Amino acid sequence: MSEMIGSVVSQVLVKGQFAVLLYFLAVNGWYLVLLVSSLLELRHHMLLITDESRHLLLSSTLSPTISILAPAYNEEATIETSLRALLALQYPSLEIIVISDGSKDRTVQVLIEKFALVAVKTIYEQRIKTKPVRSLYRSSTYSSLVVVDKENGGKADALNVGLSFARGELVCAIDADTLIEADGLQRMVRPFLYATDVVATGGTIRVVNGSQVRHGRVAKTAVPTHMLAGMQVVEYLRAFLFGRLGWNRLGGNIIISGAFGLFQREAVVNAGGYLHDTVGEDMELVLRLKRLSYEQGGPGKIGFVPDPVAWTEVPESAAVLGRQRDRWHRGLADVLWRHRRMLFNPRYGVTGLFVFPYYAFVELLAPVVEAIGLIGLLFGLVFGVVDWKFAGLFYLTAYGLGTALTAFTLILEDISFHRYETFRDRVLLFWWALLEDLGYRQLTVYWRLRGLWKYMRGRKDWGAMERKGFRPVTASS
Amino acid sequence: MISQSLLNIVMLVEIGLLALAVVLFFTHGIWLYVSEKRLARLSKIARDSLAQLVTRGTVNVEQMSVLENLPPNVQVIAFLEISRNLTGTGKERLRFAAQQVGVIDRARKLCESRRWQRRLRGARILSQLDVPDPLVQKLLADPHPALRAQAAEWAAAQPSPTVISAMLALLADPATQARFAVQNALLRMGTVVAVPLGDFLDIQSGRAAEAGLRVAETMAGPRFAQTALRHSQTDDVGIRVAAAKLLGAIADAQAAERLVALLNDDEARVRAAAAHGLGRMQHWQAASQLANGLRDRTWRVRRESGLALRAIGAAGTLFLRRALKGDDRFAADMAQQVLDLPEAATG
Repeated sequence: MSEMIGSVVSQVLVKGQFAVLLYFLAVNGWYLVLLVSSLLELRHHMLLITDESRHLLLSSTLSPTISILAPAYNEEATIETSLRALLALQYPSLEIIVISDGSKDRTVQVLIEKFALVAVKTIYEQRIKTKPVRSLYRSSTYSSLVVVDKENGGKADALNVGLSFARGELVCAIDADTLIEADGLQRMVRPFLYATDVVATGGTIRVVNGSQVRHGRVAKTAVPTHMLAGMQVVEYLRAFLFGRLGWNRLGGNIIISGAFGLFQREAVVNAGGYLHDTVGEDMELVLRLKRLSYEQGGPGKIGFVPDPVAWTEVPESAAVLGRQRDRWHRGLADVLWRHRRMLFNPRYGVTGLFVFPYYAFVELLAPVVEAIGLIGLLFGLVFGVVDWKFAGLFYLTAYGLGTALTAFTLILEDISFHRYETFRDRVLLFWWALLEDLGYRQLTVYWRLRGLWKYMRGRKDWGAMERKGFRPVTASS
Repeated sequence: MISQSLLNIVMLVEIGLLALAVVLFFTHGIWLYVSEKRLARLSKIARDSLAQLVTRGTVNVEQMSVLENLPPNVQVIAFLEISRNLTGTGKERLRFAAQQVGVIDRARKLCESRRWQRRLRGARILSQLDVPDPLVQKLLADPHPALRAQAAEWAAAQPSPTVISAMLALLADPATQARFAVQNALLRMGTVVAVPLGDFLDIQSGRAAEAGLRVAETMAGPRFAQTALRHSQTDDVGIRVAAAKLLGAIADAQAAERLVALLNDDEARVRAAAAHGLGRMQHWQAASQLANGLRDRTWRVRRESGLALRAIGAAGTLFLRRALKGDDRFAADMAQQVLDLPEAATG
């Protein structure tokens, strides 16, 4: 009996291994193309920004007004620092809208006390249907500050309320705990000043864990020593520096991080705002804007700008990280399913023919293929049709190119923005890059598969997130 | 079956790539460390020498030779760093030093390069040092929009009639980047632009007129009164909005009269701009017309009318309070919100 199973497994493996290996080669080959593309894009970008006089923008009354939309839910401990950092952003025409999404703690009271808020008659132009707004506040000391207290409806609903109150031509959607670098908006607004067909831009998100934060700003960057956080640093660098940057040149992005994105307000409102019934509301909006630009005309360019940076805290516990990744993957599956008609549809140009299929077959299905490969290998070992040496070699081959690509991403970071300066950081970065494929990657495969499974079973919840809080500056620093 | 030898070859290639990456990553790190140390040391020398040259105004041969002997990239970094904080005599002295050590000549050469990247680099150096060079002026007609934008930035410090006229022509530039830079530069040139801009607007229409009106709004001199009145009657909504804003900034009797008429424009954006303009000029005589705006079908117009009434002062507040008791619920709500606003939030 076991001989028969062994022979079947052997036959399946023989046929399947080529497919799996071909898939790996194709994916890594495409990554190579992305890496080259991002290298070219980065070079072009650096040429454009070197010695530019961005400070002139600060004195210009012609700069478009930006409304920052900051949804907050139970943020009483951090909201004052976060908001003060936002108010100190260097941009000439800024409006900040904090939307308390039915916070159950003292978030609103803290804001009232610290920012001299005054309640005003709660009326607004509701262009998108949302949960009711309870109160509206304006500050007696900060002319640009608006605080909205609404019933709980989730992040998408809070952002939609923010859109109703925003007066800026551009809106910047952030997470309340995102730390935007002081000149981040000046950098991010560039594509809107340079072209009329830009509908959204995204900036780089970096991991703040391990770094020192002072008054809502990153005072000193450092690679975290915590394993999960460290590997996420490498992951984020790879995702932004060669993933999104590479797509800029190869047909445009369809993802802008929900933690830091700039949009044309009218385009977003006309598109109906953020969707409530998806966990991937940020990607869904971007893809919808892109799709509408093909279907109805109008601006549709989605740009990624690598130099504006926002810092975010990443989970350090496997359980929380797992929930986050599972949610991201459910979001991806949901968004791709909703817009499935774009797949290989020439009507949607490069997005339909290249970008969308990439997200469907590489980003979405990669964990499935990877799991099949791993399970196949395990079966092969159990039934003795694959020897240990071969299995080890196969495993190393499959992941080796990925590690090499990650290493080249680190070089890309080093020659461009060079945020991690010390030798210690350099060693740590490389260390996490090497270790990433030995367990962590397989864990993410599991979490993403779990997300896919939950999506197929109809789960749409966010899952709880826990944050440790930013590391304060020590006296010696 | 995939042969083990094939896997061996692939593995070897991967190991090679990884080893190359490791070598590159750490070598680059060492190179960065060494070069940054060297750069910091040399920059300090350059900074000290330049600071002395700029403050004392005398050219010390020894200091000049120190500067001349520095690597070109260090020279450029030091000159540009200091130039940002200088104007007038200090900047003239800096330019003189830059000329002496060859920074300006090298930048000129870059401006003549066939590659746009080099031209951009050259233009940026000459712009930041405010060098009045015709080579940069030529770049106002460069095929690359980034170059036109950079040349416009340079032009802000060179407000000669020829430069201004070339800049005004660029207000119709199809590239947004160049157009924005030109508007910005015209703003920075200040009142010297008023007369030529007025002449330009008298004969312009379309995109150039709209861009020009936005610049004129910040100058708001009487020179623009007639042209703003003319443009406020065009069919183009964007131009009417820009003209209404300009009229609000000019704030004379004719402007007020026209803005009151624009409160009845078919386009909500124009009505809102007119209300805003009347509030800006605190034209209390228009309070009753603005109070009508509180009942407008468009939110934006209602809001701008309310804010304008608040800006007008006592007369406006009276109308806002009257609206609270009126039969129009939308007007009453808007009046209440505007009255509730703290002073800081009424702008």
